[in-house]
Amino acid sequence: MSEFVGIARDVISAIAFIAGAILAIVASIGLHRLGDTRSRMHAATKPATLGVLCCGVGAMVHLAEVSDVTKVLVIIILQLVTAPVGAHMLGRSAREK
Amino acid sequence: MTFEQLLLVVLALLALAACVIVARIVRPGSLADRAVAFDALASIIVCGVLVDAARTNDGLRLDLAVVLGLLGFLTSVTVARFIEIQDGQES
Repeated sequence: MSEFVGIARDVISAIAFIAGAILAIVASIGLHRLGDTRSRMHAATKPATLGVLCCGVGAMVHLAEVSDVTKVLVIIILQLVTAPVGAHMLGRSAREK
Repeated sequence: MTFEQLLLVVLALLALAACVIVARIVRPGSLADRAVAFDALASIIVCGVLVDAARTNDGLRLDLAVVLGLLGFLTSVTVARFIEIQDGQES
């Protein structure tokens, strides 16, 4: 039973990590190919929120200790709070005049 | 393929994405484009630190990810304020 739980934890965290890496690749391609500053911002904010969320879930499932899970939760919440604020300020400064 | 090898592959993919974003920062463009690309680069580095913490079973590296997330936010806000002040002086 504990062996099954270990395999399931490895599979879940591997899927989460691969999803985060694919999001990072897609964002880096979108930063080159999209034509507008705000379109590029649309591409760049996906790994900033969902990619960090996926990698955090993977690290949480794999490490599975109380102190580590708390730290990963702090990282995820910090990123979810600060990424829209930074993107808002960048978008306001990049508007056309 | 073991779990550690798969995490090495994930780290390689993240490094590839980071290299492509660095090419975007070096490429000629406006300051806001580069700030956006730097924001994405900071979040990809946070992802890489999380993957490395899982790969080495080392919870101490998560502190590094907290600090890097805060630094990415501070740099993007600072550059945005700088662009706004610069544009205000020109007009």
